[in-house]
Amino acid sequence: MSIFHSMHISASGLTAQRLRMDVASSNIANVETTRGRYVNGEWLPYQRKMVTLRADGERYSFHHFLKKEVAKKAGSGVKATSIVDDRTPFKLVYQPEHPDADEDGYVRMPNVDLLKEMVDMISASRSYEANVTVLNASKGMLMKALEIGK
Amino acid sequence: MQLFNHTIKSLESALNATAARQNVISQNIANVDTPFYKAKEVIFKHELEKAIAIQAKKTNSKHIDFKYHANRDYIIRTKNNTVMNNNGNNVDIDKEMALLAENQILYNALIERLNGKFNTIKSVIRGGK
Repeated sequence: MSIFHSMHISASGLTAQRLRMDVASSNIANVETTRGRYVNGEWLPYQRKMVTLRADGERYSFHHFLKKEVAKKAGSGVKATSIVDDRTPFKLVYQPEHPDADEDGYVRMPNVDLLKEMVDMISASRSYEANVTVLNASKGMLMKALEIGK
Repeated sequence: MQLFNHTIKSLESALNATAARQNVISQNIANVDTPFYKAKEVIFKHELEKAIAIQAKKTNSKHIDFKYHANRDYIIRTKNNTVMNNNGNNVDIDKEMALLAENQILYNALIERLNGKFNTIKSVIRGGK
């Protein structure tokens, strides 16, 4: 365990929250995008993205659990493992004049819910602030440790 | 009597435990949005000894005492028995932030005391000049 371990942990938290923020802005920017992916000669709307998080250094093997019980370490932060698509169905909107409308006049819109994105954004930014506070606290402690013996 | 007595050793072990608690708080706050993450906590040695205040009855000298992790200043424990959030996470962010502030003050106080001790010794070495 190095001196800067706690700062690295907070930094991983900052990275993860920033990624959540990036994904939320991508979702909001594409709230009306009807041409997200081109699959089999037809355009699919933009699909909402989500971030999956995992505590870093946590693996699910016997060896790992045994080591964890014996060593009892603090862990090494958080890791964004993947960005997954939201599988909920697309919204259908009646708009016959739209270039991507089908024969009945319906357009498939992205499954982005603005309210959800806003809540996600606030949650990410608050968590980011909490990590910044911890980082500053760790920094203050390290600076204080430099005063030993002065 | 030796120059560097027990005080410095005690302060050092308390500093180690406080630094470990800082790591654990960082880890908990970094994982505040991680599904199924369980919060960890640091238990200081004297708290541990208070909790395990019973003596083992030994009928053989090879029996192991209850005094456990006696060579370490602290242990890290995972809090598995609570739920805080509906995604299986149990990080109480308010508690962690309060603990963070407390930990910072404790660390600073310990360093102040360590410096006070060193200054005392310095003063003795200089012969009070």
